[in-house]
Amino acid sequence: MIICRCEEVTYGQLVETAKKFSCSSRELKLRTRAGMGYCGGRTCRLAVDSIAISSTNRDVSKITLKYQPPIRPISFAKLGDENK
Amino acid sequence: MNKVIIIGAGPAGLSAAITIAESGHSVLVIDEYMKAGGRLLGQLYKEPNGNWWNGIKESQKLLDKAVDLGVQINLHTPVSNIESINGLWRIYTEDEVYLTSHLLIATGAAETPLPIPGWTLPGVMSVGAAQVMTNVHRVKPGDRGVIIGVNVLSSAIAMELKLADIDVACITLPKMNSVTEKHGNPLDVMNSLLHVSHMAPSTFVKLGSKLMKNDFMKKMGITFYPKNGVKMWDIPIMLRKAVIEIYGDGAVEGVKIATISTAGEIIPGTEENIKADFICIAGGLYPLAELAAVAGCPFYHIEELGGYVPLHNERMETTLPGLYVAGNITGIEGAKVAISQGITAGLAIINSKDGGQQEDKIKEAVNFTEQTRNKAHIQFHPEVKVGKQKLQKYWNEYLISVKNKVHN
Amino acid sequence: MTKRIIHHPVLDSIEETDTVSFTFDNHKYQALRNDSIAAALLVNGVRTLRHHEESGTPRGIYCNIGHCFECRVTVDGKQGMRACLTPVQEGMAVTSGGKLLTSVRDWRSQNE
Repeated sequence: MIICRCEEVTYGQLVETAKKFSCSSRELKLRTRAGMGYCGGRTCRLAVDSIAISSTNRDVSKITLKYQPPIRPISFAKLGDENK
Repeated sequence: MNKVIIIGAGPAGLSAAITIAESGHSVLVIDEYMKAGGRLLGQLYKEPNGNWWNGIKESQKLLDKAVDLGVQINLHTPVSNIESINGLWRIYTEDEVYLTSHLLIATGAAETPLPIPGWTLPGVMSVGAAQVMTNVHRVKPGDRGVIIGVNVLSSAIAMELKLADIDVACITLPKMNSVTEKHGNPLDVMNSLLHVSHMAPSTFVKLGSKLMKNDFMKKMGITFYPKNGVKMWDIPIMLRKAVIEIYGDGAVEGVKIATISTAGEIIPGTEENIKADFICIAGGLYPLAELAAVAGCPFYHIEELGGYVPLHNERMETTLPGLYVAGNITGIEGAKVAISQGITAGLAIINSKDGGQQEDKIKEAVNFTEQTRNKAHIQFHPEVKVGKQKLQKYWNEYLISVKNKVHN
Repeated sequence: MTKRIIHHPVLDSIEETDTVSFTFDNHKYQALRNDSIAAALLVNGVRTLRHHEESGTPRGIYCNIGHCFECRVTVDGKQGMRACLTPVQEGMAVTSGGKLLTSVRDWRSQNE
């Protein structure tokens, strides 16, 4: 069953990795690429989170999976635009 | 720089823009979508007084007022980043970088998916997608659909699909796993439904739910819940069945469902197929706060508000100077609360610009939000007030920490 | 266009007169002006908007409001355009993305 649609990371892969490395959401993301696809984790973030924290307690004051700009795609052409 | 900038042209963003423009300040509203109105656009339901809440009409009212007041609205404009440099907010879009001293983020909410095997097939969509397709674009999502996830939003949209003469075969649960959790547990789902049972269209369902308020009765209710569901608007709502797979060759052709125990476990041998050409996934809403996060806002996870919420006070101010939030980004509530919060944020911004002349109006607006919240006919989360109280506690802690820093 | 909801018990009826034609993967289609590309294709019975870059599995709209990017298509040469929020225009040439020629990554555990 796919959890991260963009990178096609499955539930099995995530659960296995989480168990093998007893890792945080962030580490799970780095090891599997779940949350690093085109949509920026918008779709699977909460699911990846729930798989990672199912064995630990959540720290309510911290976001587990960081947001990195740009949060919408930009083309290289626009970035390098000298007319800006 | 003097122009106030609002990201999000939904009910909160437009209401804030109207409030600010009415006081003579100039405003720019930016939105990535192709129409103004946000998710209010797709809403359509009957209020207790019998009137229809028509999202398209309500959005048009707000839009017309904003345009009349000279508010500039840039649609089709995604924002990729925001940052504060030398006291000014820089808003990065594809073609331009905007600068402002006062920025309101009113980006609303996103839907939480319920992963199910086969959910990437064309024809599987979020329940909100079906609402937008039907009410906004006026295109049928399909001829026959199944809705997975039983909650306020999915029930309301099931009704909207029926209204548009679209066949909904049933509303049922997803198979339970560590991601779907409570959404797949019949008792938890029944619990969450009982607080919205006042919305039920038939007297039978209303009365039935009155009986079920205590735990014993709830358990009995779930144990004896008809396997083929209880019908609402002629659509079976099946709390004792779960979808275990969505199948189809190249596109959705149907779902495989099975009967589940009261604890949500699949009963082997009960699998059957239901033919459908579209499937709606209804996992609830969460605040879409990515811009507040990249700006550096502290966040708190508050279940009752729908997830991670940026820290803010009842005046819609965040901990970052010049940054405000309003609408579903502050917690999942309805459009009316979003409008009221937009007005509050607008007043807080004007107040900051004119040296504190709006304090009375802000107090009024905060009270009005509270009243709107209490009167709300549809509550996505029943414990919203508890959530808001938790947030207020965190805000007070933040104020104390700031005072301590200043004194040290 | 039988999938169009022309009359509705509560919402206003819609006009079907202002049509535009556009192409999707070189097939010509008709839609109403200001339909989103996704809606324009759906009303013509087209659900598959692209194929996953690595697995080739077919994808269509998911969120329909611009968050998930499942509906990304190339419009008049520009990549990554979301079909769910791009209005269709007369003569627009839309093409779908497909499976890429070589595997983008192969560091998953079965390839260790």
